[in-house]
Amino acid sequence: MYKKIDLSMEFLGIRLENPFILSAAPPTDEFDIAYNGLKAGWGGIILKTTSVEGNSVPLKYPMMSSFGSMSRKVIGLGNIDLISGYQIDEIEKRVKTLKEVFPEKMIGASIMGTKKEDWQTLVWRLKKAGVDLIECSFSCPQGSMGEEAGRMLAQSIEATEKVARWVKEAAEDIPVLIKITPQVTDIVEVAKAVKRGGADGITASNTIPSLLGIDINTFEPYPSLFGKGAYSGLSGPAIKPITLRTIAEIAKNVDITISGNGGAFNWRDAVEFMAVGASNVQFCTLPMHYGFRTIEDLKRGFAHYLSDMGFNSPLDIVGKALPNIKSQDELPSPKTLAELVEEKCVGCGLCYSACFDGGHMAIDWDSEKRVPHFDEEKCVGCAMCMQICPVDAIKMKEKIEGSNSVYYFVEKR
Amino acid sequence: MEEIEKTFSKEQAAIEAERCLYCYDAPCETACPAHVPIAEFIQSIRTDNLKGAREIIQEAHPLIETCGRICPEESFCQSACTRIKMDTPIKIRELHRYITDNTDPSENLELVPATKGKIAIVGGGPAGLACARELRRFGYQPVVFEKKQLGGVPANEISATRLPEEIEKKEARFVHHNFVSEVKDTTIKSLEELDKEYSAIFISTGLSGELNLDIPGNNLDGVYYSRELLKRAKSGAKLPHFKRVGVIGGGNVAVEVASVLKIEDPLRDVEVIYRRGTKELKAFKKEIEEAIEVGVTFQFLAIPKKIEGDKRVEGLVVTRAHLGEKDPSGRRNPVPIPNSDFVIPLDAVVIAIGQKADVYFPKVERDAKGLVKVSDGLMANVKGVFAGGDIVRGASTVVECVADGKKAAQNIAKYLEGGKNV
Ligand SMILES: Cc1cc2nc3c(=O)[nH]c(=O)nc-3n(C[C@H](O)[C@H](O)[C@H](O)COP(=O)(O)O)c2cc1C
Ligand code: SF4
Repeated sequence: MYKKIDLSMEFLGIRLENPFILSAAPPTDEFDIAYNGLKAGWGGIILKTTSVEGNSVPLKYPMMSSFGSMSRKVIGLGNIDLISGYQIDEIEKRVKTLKEVFPEKMIGASIMGTKKEDWQTLVWRLKKAGVDLIECSFSCPQGSMGEEAGRMLAQSIEATEKVARWVKEAAEDIPVLIKITPQVTDIVEVAKAVKRGGADGITASNTIPSLLGIDINTFEPYPSLFGKGAYSGLSGPAIKPITLRTIAEIAKNVDITISGNGGAFNWRDAVEFMAVGASNVQFCTLPMHYGFRTIEDLKRGFAHYLSDMGFNSPLDIVGKALPNIKSQDELPSPKTLAELVEEKCVGCGLCYSACFDGGHMAIDWDSEKRVPHFDEEKCVGCAMCMQICPVDAIKMKEKIEGSNSVYYFVEKR
Repeated sequence: MEEIEKTFSKEQAAIEAERCLYCYDAPCETACPAHVPIAEFIQSIRTDNLKGAREIIQEAHPLIETCGRICPEESFCQSACTRIKMDTPIKIRELHRYITDNTDPSENLELVPATKGKIAIVGGGPAGLACARELRRFGYQPVVFEKKQLGGVPANEISATRLPEEIEKKEARFVHHNFVSEVKDTTIKSLEELDKEYSAIFISTGLSGELNLDIPGNNLDGVYYSRELLKRAKSGAKLPHFKRVGVIGGGNVAVEVASVLKIEDPLRDVEVIYRRGTKELKAFKKEIEEAIEVGVTFQFLAIPKKIEGDKRVEGLVVTRAHLGEKDPSGRRNPVPIPNSDFVIPLDAVVIAIGQKADVYFPKVERDAKGLVKVSDGLMANVKGVFAGGDIVRGASTVVECVADGKKAAQNIAKYLEGGKNV
C-alpha cells in the first residue's frame, strides 16, 4: 500500500537494490540460508570464505560466546570459527544458481588461499560461475593460511600488496575487495598497500581478536571446549566505534572505495558508517541475532532518514562527516560548561559522584532536594557527567572567547 | 474534557522498547485480532524510526490512533507477551500510542487503480471502515452508507477523556479520503434498497438499540439510557442536571457512562449498581481503575427491583444477593436473599445493561438475540451478503471489528474473483 522504497545505487559498477549486504559469515554459509537472506530483501551477499578443494578446515564447536549484561547479552559476539567447510567446487555451483534466481542482486564470494595458484584458481572459477564481486579475507582472527599461519595477512604490508596484485590480475574486470583487520599499527599503510596492489576496494573491517570472558570459579575461558578456550573474533555493537575510526582514517587518507563492516546493528549505524566514507554496509551479527527480518527496519528507517534530510540517493551521504573529523590539536578551544535541564533531572546523584571522584569536584549536591548545582568556576566542561546521566539531562554549553555564538554538545541515541 | 492517560516520553518508550525480546513468530502478533506486526514496530522504535513504525501499524489496521488509546491490551496482545514468563509484559498499547502520537498518518500511499466493482458497506464504524480500506487496496470501489459521523461507536460515544473527538474524526477522515469511493448519507434497512450496481454487500451496522430494564418505574422522569447520554456528552452538549445517580449494569458502557457523569460534575454522586460481584464485572480493568480514580463508587450484589418516585425518580429499591452457581459464561449468578430489600435514594437512574440489534434486512437470517448468522468466511444466508462487527459478535471491541472488516474484504474478493487476489 506504500510507495516502493528506492535505495538503489552503484557500487564498483554493480547495481545494488539497497546498500545492505550480508557479510561472509554463517548467514551466507548454507545455500538455503543465503537464499532466504536474499529473498528477505538484502541487497546482496558475500558467500562465506571458501578455499580450494582438499584444504582441511578443522572446525571446533561450540564456537560462539558473548559478553554483555543479562538485559543485553550480546553487546559483543565472539567466535572461534574458521573459513567455510564448503570448498570452491560447491561454491561455484551456488554462485551460478543464486545468480540465476536473483539476477538483480549482488552475488559476491569471499576467498582465502595460500599460494598464488590457489588464489588465482579460486578467482577464475568464481568468475566463470558468474560472480559479481570477489572479497579476499586477509583478516580471519584465527590466522591466514600459508607460510605465516596464525598471523593475519593484512598485518603484513608486503603480503597485502602482493596477494592483492595476484587476485586482481586474475579477476581482471571483476571488482575485488580486500577485507582487512583493524589490529595493525597503521591502517593507512595497509590501505595504501591494497591500492598499490590494484584491488578495487577495502572491506573495513573483520572481527577483532579478543577474549570473551573467564569463568571465575573454574578459570575456563569462553567458549569452553572441555575446559579449554581460545581467543575469539569479536563482532557486534561492541566494535562499532573501532570500525568507525578504521573507515574514517582510510577514507581521509586513501582514495579507495570502502565497504563498511563490523558492529553495524541498525540503520543509524549504517548512516554513520557511510558518513565517514563507506559506500555500503555489511552485516553479520545483526541477522545472526534477530534474523533476516531486520532488513525491513534497515530499509524503512534509512529511506525515511534520506527523505527527511532531503537526500536523493544513499550515495549522497558518503563521506559527509569527514571534513568535520580532525586531529585533537586542530580542534577549536571553546570555554565549556555543563548545563542542567532541570525538568529532566531525576535526582540520582550520579553526576555528582562522577565529578567528585573522576572530574573536577565541580558539582555541589543538594541532598535535601536531590539536585546537582554546577560550579562555573570549577567546571572545565569535560562532559563526563553528561555521559553517565541516565536521562540525558545534562548538555555541554560551548562558547568561543570574544564571540557571542553558543554551541551545544548533545549526543543523540 | 482532558484525556486521562498521558503518552510515553521518548525515554520511557526507548526503555520499554529495549525490554522487548523481538520474539520470533511473536505471540503478541497472533493474539492481536488485527495481527499488527508488533515485534517489528517495536524494533523500529528502538532505532527511532517512528515513521517506519507508523507505516507498519497503519498497514495492518485502519484505526490505529483509536486502538492506541482504547484497546483492552490485557485481553489481547499483552496477555501473550513472552516477557510475562520473565517479569512483566511489554506495555504494547502504550508503545503503539507513542508512535501514533508522534507521527502523522503516512501519506506515502500507492494504490492500484479502483477499476473493480462497487461494494456497498452499510455502517461506517470500525468494521465498515476496515472492510472499505481493504477492498480499496484490492482495487474495488467501496461505497459506505452512514447517516452519522463516520467512525461508529468510538467516534460518537466513547468518552473524550479516553479518546478525544478530533483524534477519531481525523482518522476516519483519513480512511474516507484515501480509501472510500463515496459516503452516502442514508439509512439502509433492506437489501432491496441497494441497487444492482453493487457486486457485494457488507453489513456492519453495529448494535443501535439498548436493552430495556423491565422493572416498575422505568418510565419515570429521570430514567436515562446510557448510550444516549454518551452521545450527548461526546457531542459536547451538557448532561441533565442531577445530583445522585445510579448506573445499572456492569459492562464497559456502564463504567464508561459513570466516569463521564462523575468527570462532568465532580460534586455529583455516581454509583454503579451491579447484580454480581467485583470479579464478575465485564468492564476492562483499566476502565474500572480509571472510574475509581475519578470517584465513581460501586454497589455490588444489588438486584434492582423497582424505581421509586411520583413523577420523578426518587430512589431505587434493590434486593441484596449472594453469588450462586456459574452461568454458561463461567461467571457466578446472583441469588436474591429473601427480605433484604433496601432503598438507594437517587434523583436519576441510568440503564446500561446491554445493547441490542435493530432488526433490519428481513431476508438476512439472525439468531435469537437478533445477531446476523454468518459462515466462517463471514457470509450471511444470502449470497454475496457479508456481515461483521458487533452486528455479528454482539458488543465487542474496535480491534475485533477491524479484524472482521479485513476478513470480510478478503472473502468478498474471493467470492467475486474465485480465489484470486486474496
Ligand atoms: C561465526 C562467524 C564466522 C565468520 N566467518 C567469516 C569468514 O569466513 N570470512 C570472513 O571474511 N568473515 C567472517 N566473519 C566476520 C563477519 O563477516 C563480519 O566481518 C564480522 O562479524 C563483523 O561484522 P558484524 O559486527 O556486523 O557482525 C565471521 C563472523 C562470525 C560471527
Ligand atoms: S544454533 Fe543452536 S541448535 Fe542451531 S546449530 Fe547452533 S547450537 Fe545447534
